[in-house]
Amino acid sequence: MPRLSIHRLAIAAGLVTLAAASGERAYAADKITVGVIPITDVAPLYLGKEKGFFAKQDLDVEMQLAQGGAELIAPVVSGQREFGFSNLSSILIAQTRGLELVAVAPGASSTGEQGRDFGAIIAPGDSPVQNAKDLEGKTVAVNNLNNIGDSSVKASVRKAGGDGAKVKFVELAFPDMPAALANKRVEAAWIVEPFLTLSRSQGAKVVAWNLVDMAPNLMIAVYFTSKKYADEHADIVKRFKAAMTESLAYADTHTDEIRQIVPTYTRITKELIGKLTLPRWPTEYGRASAQITADLALQDGLVTKKPDLDALLK
Amino acid sequence: MDAAQRTSSTRAGWAGAGPLVQGFCGLIGIAALLEAAPRVGLVSPLYFPPLSTLIAVLAAEIQHGLFWTALGFTLQSWALGLGISVLAGTAIGIAVGSSSIVLATTRSTIEFLRPIPSVALIPLVTLLFGTTLRSNLVLVVYAAFWQVLIQVLYGVQDVDPVARETARSYRFGRWAQIRYVTWPTTLPYLMTGVRLAAAVALILTITAELVIGTPGLGKEIFVAQTSGAYAVMYAYVIVTGIIGVAVNVLARALERLAMPWHPSLRADVPA
Repeated sequence: MPRLSIHRLAIAAGLVTLAAASGERAYAADKITVGVIPITDVAPLYLGKEKGFFAKQDLDVEMQLAQGGAELIAPVVSGQREFGFSNLSSILIAQTRGLELVAVAPGASSTGEQGRDFGAIIAPGDSPVQNAKDLEGKTVAVNNLNNIGDSSVKASVRKAGGDGAKVKFVELAFPDMPAALANKRVEAAWIVEPFLTLSRSQGAKVVAWNLVDMAPNLMIAVYFTSKKYADEHADIVKRFKAAMTESLAYADTHTDEIRQIVPTYTRITKELIGKLTLPRWPTEYGRASAQITADLALQDGLVTKKPDLDALLK
Repeated sequence: MDAAQRTSSTRAGWAGAGPLVQGFCGLIGIAALLEAAPRVGLVSPLYFPPLSTLIAVLAAEIQHGLFWTALGFTLQSWALGLGISVLAGTAIGIAVGSSSIVLATTRSTIEFLRPIPSVALIPLVTLLFGTTLRSNLVLVVYAAFWQVLIQVLYGVQDVDPVARETARSYRFGRWAQIRYVTWPTTLPYLMTGVRLAAAVALILTITAELVIGTPGLGKEIFVAQTSGAYAVMYAYVIVTGIIGVAVNVLARALERLAMPWHPSLRADVPA
């Protein structure tokens, strides 16, 4: 019967077109590199890649490890790398020094809960330091001087009624802090996971939750790119932001999968990751907390002029 | 009776043992110290695990492909960097050293550039090349090149003037002069340069991987450090030490192969 045959042909043609449209793309995905530090904060990026959120946006993401600071920002500025992950203070300092950077997505945020955060000021268990006010005149270790470390410690001291300027800061890498604390080479330290859990299991006590004290739901890090790249490849940046937002949303609600992926790109064992406190991964910028970070940076002398948050957090 | 014969046969006890045995005993001593110190409490066993733990961790590590990939990257970087340094150092060294005018002109430049530590170039290199093999190579070649160059310059200047004049009398061309007069004199110096450059190249490769994050053993050390996995970190540090020893043994073997005629490598002739 001819009518049925044409009908079937039309259906077949329609199905074939549908299959072709949803099948393999004719063009290759865009290759991008993201500079990260091997810490739990960047787990959403790894999880998002594994779940295919980036492939969905036609992005072939490669993560490159760096130690932090200059090694994350410099390659992005020079065009060697497309994106990077860095703490907000470093980005603000770079911006006030003339490097044009643009944030693409929020990175990681404090849990905002006193008593349970991924970073804190700790002291040896038998130390006379009881609260942040006792830190006046004491030596506190931070991982980078003139950065988020001393800024947030001073915020804690101020909140406890003390004078932040009276605290003596020394620079020490996070992995060296537990041993330095145990040997009494420093009197207190600002420390993050996994060393926070390691130190507390060795008897150290928490003096203050400085990231919580500094601002509510502090946005501590962002994913960023150079303004030049953002202007020239606005489409790729838009797709990266979309994939990143999806990854962050998934990560914040599937922390068990996060705990499974962290051991794949770090040396944190499965046993240890179960004990660590994870950061929060909101999908929107913490604008208010970023403003507080910028204001404190100017007040504490991290920067000499006011950072432009509007240009940064597009 | 010369020195070589004296040490092995006539002295009794500890001093009479050969250098190989003495070295081995020294190694055992260090190993015992590394095992005992954390156990006794001299250092905290959490942050510096005893040697037996490290060896166990290392034995577990070498069963994973990750270890061998990292090792491959490090050795590749080291070999390439060393090769470029030796070739460039030898060629430039012979060219510069053969002409007293060029030597005099470049001497101060060499003396200025040589002490600059390669690690000071890391920010520049990260900016230009990122975390690629090229970053490693720039750092490795910059450090190892000078070792070879300085030695070759000394070697070229050490050429016996009588031999040089004799070659001129026999109308040796430039190339023949290099091949038959300069090269045999320079070779022992070059071998020393290669041995020093090999060690320096290894140091810089690991450093570059540690600081920049280029794939390799240094990067594994860095990731282990950032993760608080101290045992894994020290296990990889031990591996780099073992590679260093292997590199030295290789360099010495190369020396014996290339210059069997040199007095320092011949047991019968006093040096």
